[in-house]
Amino acid sequence: MKKYLYIFKSELMTNLQYTFDILVGFVSYCIMIFIFLNLWKYIYSNPNEVIKGYTMNQMIWYVIVTEILWMSLGGRKLCKKICNDVRSGNITYNITKPYNYVEYSLFSHLGITTLKFVLITILGILLGLLFLGEFPHLTILGILGVILSCALATIINILIITTIGLVSFFIEDANPFFWLYSKLILVVGTIFPIEFFPQFLQPIAKYSPIYVVSYGPAKLFVDYSNEKLLEIIIIQVIYLGITWLIAHLIYKKGVKKLNVNGG
Amino acid sequence: MLTEVKNQLKVTGQSIRYALQREMLNKVTFVSNILFMILNNACFIIQWIILYSLKEDVGGYTFKQVILLWGLASFTYGISRFFFRDSFELSETINCGKLDNYLVQPKNVLIQCITSSVEVSALGDIIYGLIMITIFGLTIKNLLLFILCGICGGLVVASISVIISSLSFWFGRTEVIANTINSLMTNFATYPEGIFKGAIKILFYTILPLGITAYVPIQLISDFKLIYLIYIIIGTLLFITIAFLVFNRGLKKYSSSNLMNVRI
Repeated sequence: MKKYLYIFKSELMTNLQYTFDILVGFVSYCIMIFIFLNLWKYIYSNPNEVIKGYTMNQMIWYVIVTEILWMSLGGRKLCKKICNDVRSGNITYNITKPYNYVEYSLFSHLGITTLKFVLITILGILLGLLFLGEFPHLTILGILGVILSCALATIINILIITTIGLVSFFIEDANPFFWLYSKLILVVGTIFPIEFFPQFLQPIAKYSPIYVVSYGPAKLFVDYSNEKLLEIIIIQVIYLGITWLIAHLIYKKGVKKLNVNGG
Repeated sequence: MLTEVKNQLKVTGQSIRYALQREMLNKVTFVSNILFMILNNACFIIQWIILYSLKEDVGGYTFKQVILLWGLASFTYGISRFFFRDSFELSETINCGKLDNYLVQPKNVLIQCITSSVEVSALGDIIYGLIMITIFGLTIKNLLLFILCGICGGLVVASISVIISSLSFWFGRTEVIANTINSLMTNFATYPEGIFKGAIKILFYTILPLGITAYVPIQLISDFKLIYLIYIIIGTLLFITIAFLVFNRGLKKYSSSNLMNVRI
């Protein structure tokens, strides 16, 4: 575990040198929030209106949290890196080292994600307060619960994307699978809470990754309850175990198929 | 003059054809990239179905107009990424001194440089755009206007990328700014203009020319007016001219890095 924490730390320290690049990239976050703010203001003709159990402010805070989770993740970069590692044969450099590639990817990517998460969260909260003028009612326990849930959501997301990237062992380019996954999360998980979907789709969404990587933490933030916290954390832990197992299984099977030409 | 243009177009066409042939070496990857991009774009229809179940109109657009907006945004994006892919890598090309390859060729440096490779998945965007115009209402007039607006939009998007990337001749790394502006244009172009209020709309018709790439084309296809068409064509020509001017001015400041590479 110590070596993975070292990888995490060194990645974090490296990225601290490029904070300006990260900050410039935050313009996209501000734009997305601005678009959704305008969109929901248009949909809610009256700010006190409640649609599917959500007020306008709750909807905007929901999007702020889900966008923090998605934007800080940098999933496209992670998937592309793993695909390139496999396709180019660079993965052999990692195989010979005394660590597991899945854990290496997880902790190395957590380094940059943690930094981005902290910075985007500050930005997101400031934007929320600026545009909405109020913060959701949360106790200290609630805040800690949301942070824990966000951390688990990020780890699960990284493991899912790592698994998608490792599919490159079997097909040449796994990036198209990532596009579909990212759109699923963006469209189904980021913009609307599950309650906005047709009744027959809601149970499916509840068992999908959307519930644990996007809906869960955001729902806790806008409408916190201890029961909800417990339910979401339990489902996240189950998902964490499953995704960890699948990632290792795919890696183990894939490495056996690896064929690298020396050079 | 005309022969020169004809020759340039011929060489550009061949360059794109060879780039496409390179990408088609692995047929499974080629086809899956296109299909997945179509599916990827189609996901957003879910978002609009839900939004229209909450309200009858969004930003003054009907559901069909939103379909058209998405189709046009996708088609425009596809045209810019397929035909002018390297305009989005231009900043790196300049910074790394990779322009040498194009400087020794007897054709226009900028055109050669930005058309030397293609993005296969962008074909999925183009096909998706054509599917969307079919759903909106396929008539010869609609199709021709859609294709014309998409090509103009693609040229404008690529021109903006060239203009910002060319600043690298003076200021070094500008790709972060170029990427941000491109992502800004894509994000705004997929939402109806009517949801935005205030000063932001001025930006849409100036710095971020969404008027040319998205909003005026929608009005043109929905309700044809010659003035809209003239606006789009003049706007496109203006951006192309600025792109060439800025690039050519910057090129005088370019210094090679003596990087040895071969363009296959």
